[in-house]
Amino acid sequence: MPIDNLYEPPPVANIALLQGTLDVLILKVLALQPMHGLGISRRIAQVTNATFQVKPGSLFPALHRMEEAGWLTSEWGESESNRHAKFYRLTKVGVRKLKQETDDWRRISAAMAGALEIS
Amino acid sequence: MRWVITIWRNLFHKRAVDQILDEELRSYRQLLEDEKIAAGADSQIAQREAAIELGGIEVIKEQVRDIRRGAFLDGSWTELRQAIRALRRNPGMTAMCVVMLALGIGASTIIFSVFEAALLRPLPFRDAGRLVEVVETQLDLGMDEENLSEADFWDLHDRTESFESVGAYNGFQANLTSDGKPEKVSVAQVTLEFFRTLGVRPILGRDFSTGEGNANIAILGNQFWKARYGADANIIGRVLRIKGIGYTVVGVLPRGEPWIDAQVYLPYPYHPAAERGNREFSAVGRLKKGVTPEAARRELQRLAAVMRADNPQEDKGLGFNIFPSRRWIAPEETGAALSILLVAVGLLVIIACGNVANLLLARGLARRREIALRSALGAARARLVRFGMLESLLLSALGAVVALALAAVSVRGIRTMEIPGIPRLDEVSLNPWVLCFSCGVTVFTGLLCGLAPAFQNPLQGVAAALREGDRQTGASRRQGRVRSVLVSAEFALAFLLLVSMGLVLRSFQGLLKEQRGFQTAHRLMFSLSYPDSYRQNGRGKQSIDSLLEELSAHPGVVSSGAVSSRPVEGPDNGMNIDAATHSAVSGPPPRSSWRVITPGYLRTVGLPLLRGRNFNSTDKPVWDEPGQPMLSHRTVMFSSALAMLLFPNEDPIGKHTILWKGQFNRDAEVVGVVGDSLERGLDHGPALTVYITYGRVAVPSEFVVETRGDPKTVFPDVRALIQRLDPNLPIGEVRSFDEVISHSISPQRINSIVLTTFGGFALLLASFGIYGVLSYLVRRRTAEIGLRMALGASEWDILKMIVAQGLLPALLGITLGGTIACWLSRYLKSLLFGVQPIDLLTYAAVSGMLLVTAAFACFVPGHRAMKTDPAIALRLE
Repeated sequence: MPIDNLYEPPPVANIALLQGTLDVLILKVLALQPMHGLGISRRIAQVTNATFQVKPGSLFPALHRMEEAGWLTSEWGESESNRHAKFYRLTKVGVRKLKQETDDWRRISAAMAGALEIS
Repeated sequence: MRWVITIWRNLFHKRAVDQILDEELRSYRQLLEDEKIAAGADSQIAQREAAIELGGIEVIKEQVRDIRRGAFLDGSWTELRQAIRALRRNPGMTAMCVVMLALGIGASTIIFSVFEAALLRPLPFRDAGRLVEVVETQLDLGMDEENLSEADFWDLHDRTESFESVGAYNGFQANLTSDGKPEKVSVAQVTLEFFRTLGVRPILGRDFSTGEGNANIAILGNQFWKARYGADANIIGRVLRIKGIGYTVVGVLPRGEPWIDAQVYLPYPYHPAAERGNREFSAVGRLKKGVTPEAARRELQRLAAVMRADNPQEDKGLGFNIFPSRRWIAPEETGAALSILLVAVGLLVIIACGNVANLLLARGLARRREIALRSALGAARARLVRFGMLESLLLSALGAVVALALAAVSVRGIRTMEIPGIPRLDEVSLNPWVLCFSCGVTVFTGLLCGLAPAFQNPLQGVAAALREGDRQTGASRRQGRVRSVLVSAEFALAFLLLVSMGLVLRSFQGLLKEQRGFQTAHRLMFSLSYPDSYRQNGRGKQSIDSLLEELSAHPGVVSSGAVSSRPVEGPDNGMNIDAATHSAVSGPPPRSSWRVITPGYLRTVGLPLLRGRNFNSTDKPVWDEPGQPMLSHRTVMFSSALAMLLFPNEDPIGKHTILWKGQFNRDAEVVGVVGDSLERGLDHGPALTVYITYGRVAVPSEFVVETRGDPKTVFPDVRALIQRLDPNLPIGEVRSFDEVISHSISPQRINSIVLTTFGGFALLLASFGIYGVLSYLVRRRTAEIGLRMALGASEWDILKMIVAQGLLPALLGITLGGTIACWLSRYLKSLLFGVQPIDLLTYAAVSGMLLVTAAFACFVPGHRAMKTDPAIALRLE
């Protein structure tokens, strides 16, 4: 091991985001109301009991990718603290996508839960 | 649709898109700050914490840009501009790389253009896959590929069911005497279906049609039409006089070879009751759709059995065979030779790539800092690799531009060349196929050059690289190893090229040193084309006699003579022969060449009389003269090899022999034995030859004149002399004997020249590669060398150390190359003459040459290291 690593702080306990997890979470929190980037990040932490701390480096590429795919749309607006901010909102495609992803997740988690309990 | 708009916006409104992202990130940070302040932090601490939580803004931006649609295109365009800038910053290196790649790509384009024209381009015939050549065999006489006799052809024509149609071709030379100077032309009599069988349509006028077998009409070959008539569009209807008979031109053929490269075509009538003994017709057939060559072969064998039964005498032992039309394009040796050159040029290209990669690696080192900075700013690894590749692709594209200019000039030169054995040289061009090939080579070289440098980018230790800048660390040691491997590979490939060069050169030298038997210096050769009238009433003999007499009276002429077929390059006439009293060899009788000569011929070409006597005026040709009593006594002379074969351990003089054994069975007495010669070409070994004297029925038309000075200076007088004798006699193919020899070995010469050039380049490139690596090593180790010197190492020690370090990869490469060469060189066999593929002398010489070159290339950087000033070197650290 390179010596440098010994002086690095221990990694923050944080489950690596499963492929696709972030997308569902963003869709989910946006289903309730339009939100800006920081709001999305904070809400995800809140609804997952701080299991997922979404960093800007993951959040922004995801938001832009989903917007280009047509799941989200965005507009500039005023935040609760009267700051200029970009708000994201689900499109119809996004709503459909969320439903489909939610169903998928249910199936997967049920299957996983069952498999892990038996063993 | 949506994604098109997105890509458009991302590519062409990039600034606006980026601005929005910028604003969004700023607002995010502001919100973060607000959050911290709301939680009770003071504004400065809030600012700091917000910045930490946000992380590197540039990295985030880069990540967002990377996921955008069209990012690949956008990135490529930006990187292309960056690559161009990078290359322009370093003009010396760029030029060097471009030159090396241009040489490689150019040389391979040139070789491939010849390869394509000679071997790959399809025949100019419709559906050539169904075309075959039909030959007769007489396996009991050891003949496996003979022309057809006329009657055999008509039998085939009438009875075969495998072919849609068959055509026959009988070529000869004749004099054309209408409008303009008399000219010897190649005439072909073809059956009416001949062109239809090939699938060739005249480009002007019409084909022969049914029932025109006896019409006095002619079709012209394309080249002849252009050369003699300037491609006159009104040629149809013109009357040509050939052998004194007028033929009306009805058509002109398209260009193409083989089969339709004769000058004049005349129709040949259906004549099934024709002779069976005379085998003069070449036959082509077009297989019916769905008939395989094997099925056709079986049918022909059945047919042959019927014909043998019908004509037990003439068709004894008759059989047929067919060959695919592929074989018409070029002889197998040509294919082998060109393939070898193609492989050789491929090796050269790879060596050039190795060198370019080496240069790029060295430069990559100098750019460590820049690259580290870029990756710190968020450039992904894939992007850096792609950038490296782009740069080398750009280099090879530049090289290709230069290469194509080079190739265009060379191709123009190649078109004017004439090399025996390589067909369609005048049709070599940079056509779409060749250009596709060049593009392929360009992309291949680009990727190959970029491979090593692209993956050498410092992926770890970014911080270290930034801290140390361009100074050397562990990563560069690894790089040194990669470069040494490259040098080893270059030397191994150079070894292969140099060995092929050496072997081919040795073969060529051997060919030149062969005992030819005849003398070639100061000999003039020309051929006369006699009209048919010369074959009657001894007119030809009279003409030869008076010409030879007048020639010998000329002060510039030592001696002169005539022969039926020009040595080395003339066609070979053969016969089966045996001793009269016993069979000299078991199995089929030996086959020998025969030549009709005048008595002065042997002396003129310098062939010694070994035993017996030369011909004199009492000897007669071995053929009977029509209307005269049969010859009671025939005489011949033998070449020494033939005498040894038929009469071993005996004096051949006075012995009798059977000429044309199994065919005409003429008895003749051997009166003289002549020294051996390479009659049939320098690479054919001493020929077995029967010499027959000339006479009223045998008029040789190839003349040899031994001159006192330069043979060409005598020629004007010779021409004047001939024109005085008969102004209508065409004179052709005027050459000195030396020219004939050199022309006959021009394929070997071309191979030698091309491979020597490639070998030279390979040597140069390999030494350049080793020089580059060593210079780099010396620079890297300057401090260490300084220390060693400060601690008492002598200059000599340093030199030894550096040279040894450079020679190591060279030695490895040579060993590797030698091993591969031992294994691969057998594929060279078709190019070699008198030398084994694993020739110790060549291998040793090549190893020596490479080692000396390597040592030389090592010496320069070694010398620089030797002169290192320890004080300065140590201060560098």
